[in-house]
Amino acid sequence: MSIDETTAPRVDDESRKEGRRIVLDRHGPEYRTEFVDWAQRLHAGPRIAWNDTHGGYWFVNGNQELFDVARRSDVLSNDHDIHNRRRGYKGINVPPPPESSGTIGGFLEMDPPRQRYYRNALNPYLSPAAVARWQPVLDEITRAAIDEKIESGRIDFVEDLANIVPAVLTMALLGLPLRDWVVYNEPAHATVYTPQHSPDYPRVMKMAMDMGMSLFGRLQELRATPRPGLIDAIINADLGGEGPEDDMEIVGVVMLLVGGGFDTTTALTAHSLEWLGEHPDQRERLHREWDALRDSATEEFLRFYTPAQGDGRTVSADVEIDGVRFHEGDRLWLSWAMANRDEQVFADPHEIKLDRTGNRHASFGLGIHRCIGSNVARAGFKTMTKAVLDRMPDFVCDPAGTVHYETTQVINGMRHLPATFTPGKRLGPGLEETIDRLQTIVDEQGLAEPITVRKDRARLA
Amino acid sequence: MKVRVDPNICQGHTLCAMTAPNLFVLSDEDGHASAITEDVPAGQEELAREAARSCPEQAIVLSE
Repeated sequence: MSIDETTAPRVDDESRKEGRRIVLDRHGPEYRTEFVDWAQRLHAGPRIAWNDTHGGYWFVNGNQELFDVARRSDVLSNDHDIHNRRRGYKGINVPPPPESSGTIGGFLEMDPPRQRYYRNALNPYLSPAAVARWQPVLDEITRAAIDEKIESGRIDFVEDLANIVPAVLTMALLGLPLRDWVVYNEPAHATVYTPQHSPDYPRVMKMAMDMGMSLFGRLQELRATPRPGLIDAIINADLGGEGPEDDMEIVGVVMLLVGGGFDTTTALTAHSLEWLGEHPDQRERLHREWDALRDSATEEFLRFYTPAQGDGRTVSADVEIDGVRFHEGDRLWLSWAMANRDEQVFADPHEIKLDRTGNRHASFGLGIHRCIGSNVARAGFKTMTKAVLDRMPDFVCDPAGTVHYETTQVINGMRHLPATFTPGKRLGPGLEETIDRLQTIVDEQGLAEPITVRKDRARLA
Repeated sequence: MKVRVDPNICQGHTLCAMTAPNLFVLSDEDGHASAITEDVPAGQEELAREAARSCPEQAIVLSE
């Protein structure tokens, strides 16, 4: 080994980007409206592109290429090193958020082993078996939310259903008071869809601050009077012989679970209902053949709409993958959304086929950071969709009142989806009364315990 | 036909058990999959292939 090789600063080898350069503003509205054009263009090559926006980053868009890159946690880092203790990596957002935020995105912005310790602590609350215990509660929240609107013949599927059900269930899983869902509800969505240049941004930031203060207060209460749930598991997590460093770390983890639990499932459900409203024959088919199509339709909506569009990484060691020479420190974007539309893997990728088979979509991510709440998301989506098909089978959405998120920079979401339908009869008490009753049941039955402690399903009777 | 799930690759996406509930079982604690029996029962080979095809991590190993 010569001295030059170890001490000379490396000149960035621009040739590695040759033939791969694109200029794609993922944060602009055109990326959403021209998504199919971009997918077709990129999948024809370059399937790993160099995107000359936001500081420059690799844009992994082909399905095989995403598979080859995303699972390489040996050479990729999620670390968001805000205190500059390690290598100063910037986490999973491209570009990174302003330095002032002071928290990181929980274990999604950590590397193993700490990331793994957290997941091991939380998995027993979120596994398929753990989530199945909550089905009666999910059914009851959904029933109550629909009852609030069923007699009127009008509903906003986002505000009146898809925002509410995941939020209340997430509160229950966390071990927070169920009625706290209103504290988290608007900021959890608004912080995602409100750009920094919006006149509403200061108000949204204020709400986010209030949410954070509320959570700090609840942490003190939960330390003084422990209650089962995800927060209890976080507070007491064994992170290799130590616990979380401070409350800021805990808040970051809880906000990851809130962000993951709320806006994503809302986005999936709203988009799917919009599509079903536009395709009454498919809606009727899904209702009629629910048992046979439930799973494949859910995975297909997940693939097609990809609520969490992608994740950023930092390359942590020089490596060549699929012919691309990545350098340590390079930023890259794993586009789950693009990979989900790759015709090399999915026939007619830009069509929704409720009975699609072999649907190995990447909507929950790939590799060690796979969405830990995927089972909650699926259960919530299926419950809400089935209830709408049962109780409002003839709904008609109003395109004039429908509002999609302006951009898909974080979540492919919706703000409003108003619809009309033939009015029906209420089946039980309203939302507020139902939430109070469910709180008692959650507390008395210890529903928020992990599956290792409690195996039984919730009993509502 | 023989089937197994590579535990080092499986991340608990659960699609195998959704596709072929008679062939795969999920851990209660973390949802990671394993094959119920190493030998695929006669007549279930196509379901095993479909499960392998559906796995986002390609963690299912089939052998004749």
